[in-house]
Amino acid sequence: MSTDRKTILIVEDERPLMEAIQATLEKNGYDTLCARTVDQAIDYLKKVATVDAVWLDHYLPGKNGTELVAYMKVEDSAYKHTPIFLVSNTASPEKVYNYLQLGVDKYFVKAEKRLDDIIKDITGLLAAEE
Amino acid sequence: MKAETLSHLQGTDALAKAVLESLGEGVIVIDTAGKVALLNRAAEEMMGWKSFEVVGRGVEDVIQKETEEGEHIPYKDYILKKILEGKEIIVPVTKPYWFKRRDGSRFPASLVATAVRYDNHIVGAVEVFRDVTGEQEVDRAKTEFVSLASHQLRTPLSAVNWYAEMLMAGDAGELNEKQRKYMDEIYHGNQRMVELVNALLNVSRLEMATFVVEPEPTNVMTLVRSVLDELKPMVDKKYQTLTPTFSPDLPLIPADPRLLRIVFQNLLSNAVKYSAEGGKVECAVSCKKETGRLSIRVSDNGMGIPQSQQNQIFLKLFRADNVRETDTEGTGLGLYIVKSIVEHSGGTIRFESIENKGTTFFVELPLGKV
Repeated sequence: MSTDRKTILIVEDERPLMEAIQATLEKNGYDTLCARTVDQAIDYLKKVATVDAVWLDHYLPGKNGTELVAYMKVEDSAYKHTPIFLVSNTASPEKVYNYLQLGVDKYFVKAEKRLDDIIKDITGLLAAEE
Repeated sequence: MKAETLSHLQGTDALAKAVLESLGEGVIVIDTAGKVALLNRAAEEMMGWKSFEVVGRGVEDVIQKETEEGEHIPYKDYILKKILEGKEIIVPVTKPYWFKRRDGSRFPASLVATAVRYDNHIVGAVEVFRDVTGEQEVDRAKTEFVSLASHQLRTPLSAVNWYAEMLMAGDAGELNEKQRKYMDEIYHGNQRMVELVNALLNVSRLEMATFVVEPEPTNVMTLVRSVLDELKPMVDKKYQTLTPTFSPDLPLIPADPRLLRIVFQNLLSNAVKYSAEGGKVECAVSCKKETGRLSIRVSDNGMGIPQSQQNQIFLKLFRADNVRETDTEGTGLGLYIVKSIVEHSGGTIRFESIENKGTTFFVELPLGKV
């Protein structure tokens, strides 16, 4: 890695939420990339050299979050081990279970969590992975 | 039928027969031996039988009944049969019987059954029934709507939450004291809304029966402690003591941690919320291996539930008068949700309460079912 700053790819279609996430991540020392759809996110992953973690919503226009996870987790993917944090308002146990089975690192329910707390958790998990 | 014709029929059997045949609801009459004596036209249409084919046959051959889960109901448990025996039966509206048609298909039916008396003797029984598929669909649509609306509400709620959080953290410049106070109110109000939406979602999931129970080895002690941690700020603020006790060899028990958490969260937060400053809350959890049951007891020395309202305490949206006066924020959904989860899992819940002395809730859960 060229710098100490880590890059987080945010995949979130709601503009106000996206901007709040971006501002708070940057305040906490992260670089950010923002995508509104799974296809945009895949584009970034293909073109950008380093994405250290992905902040992913479930309901997105077009493909939903599971398809990005599936794309990243295939055998020969360069992003197979990149942490994925699912931050969604959809908290049905089946969905949580599916995502965790697919290899998502942690599942947060948006409306119940403070932004700071989610970022603190993510920072902790990223530090532990090093 | 014209009025003059109707008056012609006054006092004749023909009037009764015409009315019976015109009823929109199914009517079936049996004699004391359980044989069909009469089937009106609506019943013929609903069941797929013709009256002449079934009169004289045992009612259990003509109208087979089952529970929603498809469990066959034997004739001895038919309400008609019980009525012939002189029993009084109340049919719960929420649990309709399922009637099987001649072709094997089925429909949920609401029914009223009464004894047919002649000269003070029971000579038979009559059942009036109707297909409540439509009502059930409406109910389901309503529940699905609540679920969908709650999900949609969470997005703007998250936006309000997060931006309030950022303003309070000084991300957009320091707030003065008054601005901070107002932001606190916005944040707090929004938190209440999040809680309400969560409770509504839980209710709609329970009512749609989409609450999938997924038991996994669960450490109840850790789970209870995490609920206590969440409540700690409120407990400290009210100078209360909240002591958990666990039976010594509480194993990892098979339970759905999400559902079990909702049970503890509601019972404990109620105990804390409705006890005065300096109050005492206790939570005891034990596992009876011989019965395969988990026992939970949550007690407080708080305001209690008024005697006159104790029979309503588990009703949806109900809040007792004494708590409504002191705390305007509850949803009235917590205990309804707890009871639904407990009963859905085959467990039991009861309480003892004396106003101004305190309340104790007792929950028993079969292991592996919640």
